[in-house]
Amino acid sequence: MVIVENGYIPADLAEALKIRGEQTVIPYAGGTDLMVDAEDHAYLFLNKVPELKRISEDETYLKIGAAATFTEILNYPGTPEILKAAIHYLAAPAIRNMATAGGNVSNASPKADSSLIFYVSDTLLKLASAKGERILPIEDFITGRGKTALQADELLVEFLMPKKGLENYYYEKVGARKALAISRVAFAGLFNMEGERITRCAAAFGSVADVVLRFRDFEAMMIGLTLPEAKAVKSEFLAKYDQAIVPIRGRVSADYRKHVCMNLLEDFLTQNGI
Amino acid sequence: MDLINQSVKKWDHDPKISGAAKYVDDLRIKDMVHGKILRSTIASGTIKEIRIPTLPEGYLIVDQHDIPGKNNVHIVDDDSPCYSDGTVNFVGEAILMVVGEDMKVLDKILSEIVVVYEEHTPVLDMMKSDVIFYQYGYTKGDPDQAFQEADQILDETFTTGYQEHIYMEVQGMIGFYKDGKSTVRGSMQCPYYVHSAVKMVMGLPDQQVQIIQDEMGGAFGGKEDYPSILGAQVAVAAKKAGRPVKCVLDRREDITCTSKRHPATMHYRAAIKDKKITAIDAYAVYDCGAFTTLSKVVLQRGLIGATGVYTFDNIRVNGKGVRTNTTPNGAFRGFGGPQTFFAIEMFMNHIARAIGKDPFELKQQYLSKKGDITATNGLYHFDIPFPEMIEKLFKESGYPEKYQQYKHQTGRTRKGIGLSLTYHGCGFTGAGERDLIKGVVRLKKNYNDTVEILTAGTDMGQGLKTAFVKIVAQTLGVPMHQIIIANPDTDRVPNSGPTAASRSLMVVGKLLERAAVKLKDIWVSEEEQEVEEHYVHPEFTIPWDTENFQGDPYPDNSWSANVVEVEIDTLTGVADIVGAWGVYDVGTPVDKMIVIGQMEGGLLQAVGYGSMELMDANNKGVIRNNSLSDYIIPTAMDVPVLKTDVINNPYVVGPFGGKGAGELPAVGGAPAYVAAMESALGIDLHHTPFSQEDTLKALEAMKK
Ligand SMILES: Cc1cc2nc3c(=O)[nH]c(=O)nc-3n(C[C@H](O)[C@H](O)[C@H](O)COP(=O)(O)OP(=O)(O)OC[C@H]3O[C@@H](n4cnc5c(N)ncnc54)[C@H](O)[C@@H]3O)c2cc1C
Repeated sequence: MVIVENGYIPADLAEALKIRGEQTVIPYAGGTDLMVDAEDHAYLFLNKVPELKRISEDETYLKIGAAATFTEILNYPGTPEILKAAIHYLAAPAIRNMATAGGNVSNASPKADSSLIFYVSDTLLKLASAKGERILPIEDFITGRGKTALQADELLVEFLMPKKGLENYYYEKVGARKALAISRVAFAGLFNMEGERITRCAAAFGSVADVVLRFRDFEAMMIGLTLPEAKAVKSEFLAKYDQAIVPIRGRVSADYRKHVCMNLLEDFLTQNGI
Repeated sequence: MDLINQSVKKWDHDPKISGAAKYVDDLRIKDMVHGKILRSTIASGTIKEIRIPTLPEGYLIVDQHDIPGKNNVHIVDDDSPCYSDGTVNFVGEAILMVVGEDMKVLDKILSEIVVVYEEHTPVLDMMKSDVIFYQYGYTKGDPDQAFQEADQILDETFTTGYQEHIYMEVQGMIGFYKDGKSTVRGSMQCPYYVHSAVKMVMGLPDQQVQIIQDEMGGAFGGKEDYPSILGAQVAVAAKKAGRPVKCVLDRREDITCTSKRHPATMHYRAAIKDKKITAIDAYAVYDCGAFTTLSKVVLQRGLIGATGVYTFDNIRVNGKGVRTNTTPNGAFRGFGGPQTFFAIEMFMNHIARAIGKDPFELKQQYLSKKGDITATNGLYHFDIPFPEMIEKLFKESGYPEKYQQYKHQTGRTRKGIGLSLTYHGCGFTGAGERDLIKGVVRLKKNYNDTVEILTAGTDMGQGLKTAFVKIVAQTLGVPMHQIIIANPDTDRVPNSGPTAASRSLMVVGKLLERAAVKLKDIWVSEEEQEVEEHYVHPEFTIPWDTENFQGDPYPDNSWSANVVEVEIDTLTGVADIVGAWGVYDVGTPVDKMIVIGQMEGGLLQAVGYGSMELMDANNKGVIRNNSLSDYIIPTAMDVPVLKTDVINNPYVVGPFGGKGAGELPAVGGAPAYVAAMESALGIDLHHTPFSQEDTLKALEAMKK
């Protein structure tokens, strides 16, 4: 471990967790969010911790270390297209060389581009402290705008992204321009069928509320239906979303956000034959 | 192409690319302290009381009471105060400066100062202002009769928004005061403007004021007027502190309180008879903000260009610049032109559709050519190379075919293509060069036969040093490395005028060419020699009558033809720019690579003005988009295909045939972009910026 003027550079995860448990430190991955408003405070630098930088996979999961940069994720052969699509429009290459998925999600912004993909794909988050580990879905990790379930002695360690059924995706980010643009509305959808029946019709909306929105009960309406059956409930399905999505007003109007959400959701269904 | 076009390494390339160049913010000077400005948080009011906390040792407050001369910053008129005179007139107006060593302590002091205001209701809407700063108008032919006899009258209103410069380097200045002499150095376009401002505020004679330009990280017009204000502020502070005082603005501060492009509301009417335009009547209102700064000349240029590149027999143009309680607007590349050119270009498209014509066909019908009488009853003295430019442009962009092809589209994405034709008058309006500026340049030959160029011209990245060196070296017939050019210091350089108005190459470059010819004539090796040249007004022009707006406002114009192609996503309103093309006539391009670089950057900037550069103030007059994540300018990704070209049309009076180039590309991008949106959407549009949200709104309205 190296101790520097403004914090600690641990050599491995164990050291990192030890400091995290003993000191009041701000975890620092790429610093691309933190350094916008740098503080006089001790940082815990995670960008050299090997366990946090690792990307690997097993049968079920793609495992992305919390401190893997977006460039590293983009270059990893097993990264699914849906995640690549989002990374491609995240900031710009220079930022992506530093920025991490862990930082993106921990920041708990509804505009975080990778969060949206983790929401729609049912990604699990592994947290660890010196005392042990726990795994929870991203919806339980992010508890509000800028708020997470992370405890003071914990670090976000890894993303467990289920690999199955990610091929047929729908993704659209509306930014104010083509690069270096925070999303104004983002939509991600995953659609799967087994035989004649719908097994997944997941839709997530970014930048419209305090957290990324996903409505599992609405999605459940579609599960088990055939396409003709789904068509029959399409307008009811859309109406539920229309009622449930109440966008915030920001640099663009709530009305604009709402229209885009509904247009994209409808197109997502249409593209999938509904 | 001639030798003069051939691209050389930019004179300032090495220091800038290597990082060796020092900008104001990099300069560390012995005993220097910092200044931070306390600014008004309300748009209109009277200051009742200012409560200052107890200051730590070495910290002090500088305000209007410390001004030795007048509390007026000379720009065109003198109404801008240096520090608040007890009233505040826009959010961001400077009230006082806190000076001291540690910036964190300065921030703390600023946060503890309490200003008690008596608030007044601010005027934020230009159309509701009843304070008119300037008002002009002119008539050609008999528009009244044409309107009386018209069988159709079209009547439309156009609006254009703010545009912020977003120069990479924010505004910054350092003031010094020693032995009764004020020195100010920093980022500025016009050292002699700052000179006259500091003189008046400090109450000093000419020779007791020295202004030095430091390396400048971009300006776009934004460092034409504002440095006079900041320069005056640090000059006053340095005298009181007895130490050098540096003040570099924070980006949010810079966006909030420095000048921008004037928003405008423009009302156009056209008289149509037998499918011909028999008269145009234009009325433009420019929002000047709280003080006049450069609005007078910005408005003049806007009104002169109100009927664009077309010749009509009957014209009436009127306009006014009004006061609002918003940030004073000033110079921005294009200088009043982009507003009215947007209006006339869109209006021509709309007239064409209203009378069942193709927009280009209609434009072509009225396109000005050599020998035509201008809107102000001047004369187009020279060839207007539109036919050649348009041919080139159409070949590159495929405009005519695509325009037809993109009618009546359906489906999720729709393409559109738009055209604009514009000009920019070169140099100062009217007799400004002769009566006001009276530019002087000097060439100083050293004993070792190197030659130093002495002008007040500044390089803001546009390539001025390179161009000047090329002109002098080629005229003298010596290699470029024998020429010396430094950033201007008013103690050393004569007043060759401001670096503005696309005048430097055409006017100052010409003076240098003449000086070099003179020097060559008297050249004696290994001897110190000096020559001086003074401005001579071109004789061929019809004298400009400022009162009545009659005559030749500019000796010549630069011309541009632009096409933008878009593809809109009907689900999101997002418009992808498929391509942007521009063909320009800037006379002979003195260094083609630099000119192309300027055209590309300018076109991109102008497309930004038409599309995404939205600046918004709330109902208290506070600008909301004061950061780079909120004020969106285009990136290279936004216009992947950006092709610009120049034609070679030497301007007989210019140095090596060159004329104005800098501002030209900033004029035509927005109307071409919005025209492309019209083509994709199939409706008439009337404002900039035309945003994603506007697009979706238009699409939703069509669904209904
Ligand atoms: C110019 C610019 C453009 C940007 N564009 C985009 C964009 O288009 N889309 C987008 O989504 N974001 C964008 N961002 C935001 C930012 O780059 C991303 O959110 C990035 O992923 C943050 O990662 P980081 O590693 O830099 O985070 P850091 O700045 O290092 O950290 C962010 C937060 O996460 C915490 N944290 C980091 N790692 C851990 C961990 N392992 N355990 C617990 N807490 C942790 C930190 O304490 C901090 O609170 C942009 C930022 C900039 C500066």
